[in-house]
Amino acid sequence: MSSMSLWLSFSFVLIALLLSLWQKLGLEKEIAVSTVRCAVQLLVIGYVLQAVFHADHPVYLALVLVMMIAVASWNASRRGDRLPGVYWRITAALTITATVTMGLLLLFRLVEPTPQYLIPISGMIIGNAMMVSGLFLNHMKRETETARGEIEALLCLGANKRQAIHDVLKRAVTASMIPTFDTMKTIGLVQLPGTMTGMIIAGANPIDAVRYQILIMFAFSSSAAISAVLVSLLCYRLWFTRESMLRP
Amino acid sequence: MAPLLELEQLGKRSASQPDGWLFADLSAVVEEPAIIHILGKSGQGKSTLLRILALLTRPDSGTVRLAGKPPAQWTPERWRMTMSYVSQHPVMLPGSVEDNLRTVSRLHQRPFPADRAREWMEQLGLGGLDWAKPADQLSGGEKQRVALVRSLLLQPAVLLLDEVTASLDALSKQATERLLADLHRREGTTLIWITHDWEQARSVGQRVWFMADGRLLEDAPSDRFFNAPRTEEARRFLAAAIQEG
Repeated sequence: MSSMSLWLSFSFVLIALLLSLWQKLGLEKEIAVSTVRCAVQLLVIGYVLQAVFHADHPVYLALVLVMMIAVASWNASRRGDRLPGVYWRITAALTITATVTMGLLLLFRLVEPTPQYLIPISGMIIGNAMMVSGLFLNHMKRETETARGEIEALLCLGANKRQAIHDVLKRAVTASMIPTFDTMKTIGLVQLPGTMTGMIIAGANPIDAVRYQILIMFAFSSSAAISAVLVSLLCYRLWFTRESMLRP
Repeated sequence: MAPLLELEQLGKRSASQPDGWLFADLSAVVEEPAIIHILGKSGQGKSTLLRILALLTRPDSGTVRLAGKPPAQWTPERWRMTMSYVSQHPVMLPGSVEDNLRTVSRLHQRPFPADRAREWMEQLGLGGLDWAKPADQLSGGEKQRVALVRSLLLQPAVLLLDEVTASLDALSKQATERLLADLHRREGTTLIWITHDWEQARSVGQRVWFMADGRLLEDAPSDRFFNAPRTEEARRFLAAAIQEG
């Protein structure tokens, strides 16, 4: 893709800006910031990946993965910004999720152990786990408010923290995993996902592209389940004080 | 031997109060099992006090001791099993009436005392209630009584009752009073009971804690409180209550 084509692609953003102005949506700043961040982040990561692929050294690979987990943890933990220590718990959950999922992919030799494969696939898995963790925190925030009476009723009957919040946790874990499985149900019928689209555009055989996409989606199912369950186990105590009172 | 319950200079802040305190310097001792009614106008912090005792809300000053030990020397679970709070707004847990009644057994891996639960349900006028019925379909009064039996099955030494008869009809109210008084007599359960029903406090209770002006103004035997209240606020409160009928 030429530089001119890239500049021309800004016309799409211009359409969004003009529509926002015409309809007085007040989204101009949001669109401008998103556009700049999107372009800068992707260009930077493009150059970083080029350098990492060129260097082909495990330290650079590890650095990229650490950065991905750090940013994903920061983003997901913003949903639970009132909870002390949530960032490190999400970091632990995302690290374990990525390690287990990528470990299995490598163990079964489903992907090549090269940065070209490891970085994009880890990125997708960490991204999916980040979305699940963020959704979990959102659901928990809502659920602990609406089910406050239920949790306190159980505490009054001598339940420990885990017992008191168990049903609420279960509902939040389920709700945070559902979008991943909903996507799996409609994939290919409604939208053609990124990996497959990218491979096809890059000239790959569509059947090969689809196989990779299936692999990615199946890996997503495990990463969604692992991250949701881990985040719930690591974080549920944060909704309580040390004396086992539900935080206000 | 340490008293059953000690409240020492308890206080709770509130931004809506002129002096910044909902109540302060609240001290009392319960030496032995008793039926204590907490009386006072709305907004005096009666429910907040019970929530503090139940370890659901943190006090801003002072401390509570149960059997001579502050909360830090108990596990929260053991504290709440010894002193259990029954809310003014009963919350049914997901599932059937029976699931709710079995909660304590499920939480603490105890055998379910079905006969005792049935006996208490009957005494509270719920003998004909289908235990398979979803608990969220019960009426307000039914929920209140099921919530009470659910807590009674815990067999706590102290029951913190927050207007538990407020939503009941006259017959159910009397049945509840009888059951609770009987429980106190037979098992020595201490009842700390918020009510707006002064008749109930006079006929069932043995002692009154009267809260007004952000203080525990009176801590007196029921007879003395109703016949010869010491403070002007208590006299005015009783006069208004009697007038309201």
